[in-house]
Amino acid sequence: MSRVTRRLFWLIPLVLVPVPLLLNPYQQYVVNTALLYVPVGIGFNLVVGNLGLLAFSNVAYFGLGAYTSGVLMAHLGLPWWLTVIPAGMVGGVAGSIASIPALRGVRLFYLAIMTLAFGELMRWTYIRWEVLTGGSMGMAVPTASLFGWSLDTDRRRFYAFLAIVVLIVATTDRLLRSRFGRAFLAIKDNEIAAAAMGIPTDRYIVLAFAWGGAVVGLGGAMFAISVGHLSPISFDLTELIRQFAIIMVGGLGSLTGGIIGAVIITAAPQVFTSFPGFDELVFGLLIVLVILFLPRGLASLLARAHPAFVDRYYRD
Amino acid sequence: MTDAQLLQLRDVTVRFGGLVAVDSVSFSVNSGEICALIGPNGAGKTTLFNAVSGNVVADSGSILFRGEEIRQLTPHEISARGARRTFQNGGLFRDLTALENVLVGLHAQVASGFIGLLFGNRSAAAEAAATRRARELLELMGVGAMADQKAGALSGGQQRMVEIVRALATNPPLLLLDEPAVGLAPQARQQLAAIIRTLARERGIGILLIEHAIELVMSVADRVIVLNDGRKVADAPPEQVRADRAVLEAYLGHA
Repeated sequence: MSRVTRRLFWLIPLVLVPVPLLLNPYQQYVVNTALLYVPVGIGFNLVVGNLGLLAFSNVAYFGLGAYTSGVLMAHLGLPWWLTVIPAGMVGGVAGSIASIPALRGVRLFYLAIMTLAFGELMRWTYIRWEVLTGGSMGMAVPTASLFGWSLDTDRRRFYAFLAIVVLIVATTDRLLRSRFGRAFLAIKDNEIAAAAMGIPTDRYIVLAFAWGGAVVGLGGAMFAISVGHLSPISFDLTELIRQFAIIMVGGLGSLTGGIIGAVIITAAPQVFTSFPGFDELVFGLLIVLVILFLPRGLASLLARAHPAFVDRYYRD
Repeated sequence: MTDAQLLQLRDVTVRFGGLVAVDSVSFSVNSGEICALIGPNGAGKTTLFNAVSGNVVADSGSILFRGEEIRQLTPHEISARGARRTFQNGGLFRDLTALENVLVGLHAQVASGFIGLLFGNRSAAAEAAATRRARELLELMGVGAMADQKAGALSGGQQRMVEIVRALATNPPLLLLDEPAVGLAPQARQQLAAIIRTLARERGIGILLIEHAIELVMSVADRVIVLNDGRKVADAPPEQVRADRAVLEAYLGHA
């Protein structure tokens, strides 16, 4: 029964199709931002939540994906849709590189600091590699197009984003429900025992980092055309905290959690935009409340509400 | 020295810095044989065990498993070749259910490549078959009713059974049991002894067993290997070891 209910989730994108008709351009921009943060949350959650490794290099994949897309468009004149796959690939490669300390046995705070440094190194690269990135002044991202169709409005971008996000959610869901998802949880629980059961733990760690990096890179490609201007300041520590808040509020180790977190963290501050400074207060309060009352995030609340919301290998 | 030898250790030495934890130990385990490894704390039993399972790389010597040198292989490679182990305490994945623990044990059997998984549907059949087998095995070992409970919530005895099922799920020719009787009630110990005997006698599995519960060792082992200070001091049938002078010295410090 719960499996049937779960299939109904695939109707959600269909329900979203007419939504742009109800929104003004600004609201549409906010919805797009929420959408593009879905893969950012999912990729981050895969490594931190499912695999249980404290890797803080998520913003690096995000920025690299964004700059890959932006640079290929601005300098080579490629249409946006041709830059999406390269952005994902660059994110995936960056993820594999960021997994190296973890493969050498670096864990916990040490891993957190090393991966954090990786992210900062990337930010430094955007600043220094002025020829490509425009340095700290940033660069303009040309108008995107999809198969010759101009993605010049937020409404048009919405449909492109929705398609990409659905694809990412569907494939990651499959991955996490399979023996791979089970192996990730086994590694998180007891790495030595997982290896003793024949699981090549190193290979799986690289896989999780690479898959996570790739989907976050795709989020970056969407970010590039959504904001239309890239500058290093978009990829600083504040951005990392925001992305971390997505998975904390949404629920560590839950695919649904990554999605909900992206929506909540993007939408919540919008409610209070008329009171300057209030959005940060809401943001902070939200995190404190969730950690106090729902340590496993909003996903745990949903899981209690209905079994259909429980990811196969999500444990609260 | 015959080809029937499943596991053969020759002059295996493990050093931790200046400490020689295992000092030039040689012995072998045959198919269907129950071999117990005993000795006082710090004698090097677990280190030797870890050297066989790949959790520690022996500094010198040779470890042959079914004729193949495995000394430098990683734990997952050794496990894939059919030498499977249990752990002294808490070897289970606590957040996974008993059934899922066994499914992790069957990981290699649920063959689905990464790409095939994302675009195909073939893995579903393998997963279903593995699930059936895992349930059967849990049933067989008397923990079938706990299949869908989190492993961390099971009693010590049930956890031990699930861990043995998980190790056995792939029909390995060699089973390494690290203190399986620890924390078990006397009745559960007898049950465990019966299971170990069945595995060796009826399924021909070679078993290497570390155990402090001396009555269990004496009742199941075909051969007892005694370690002291990293060196092998006896290797004989249980009744002979019981009377051995070197063994008494190892345990009591005097003759």
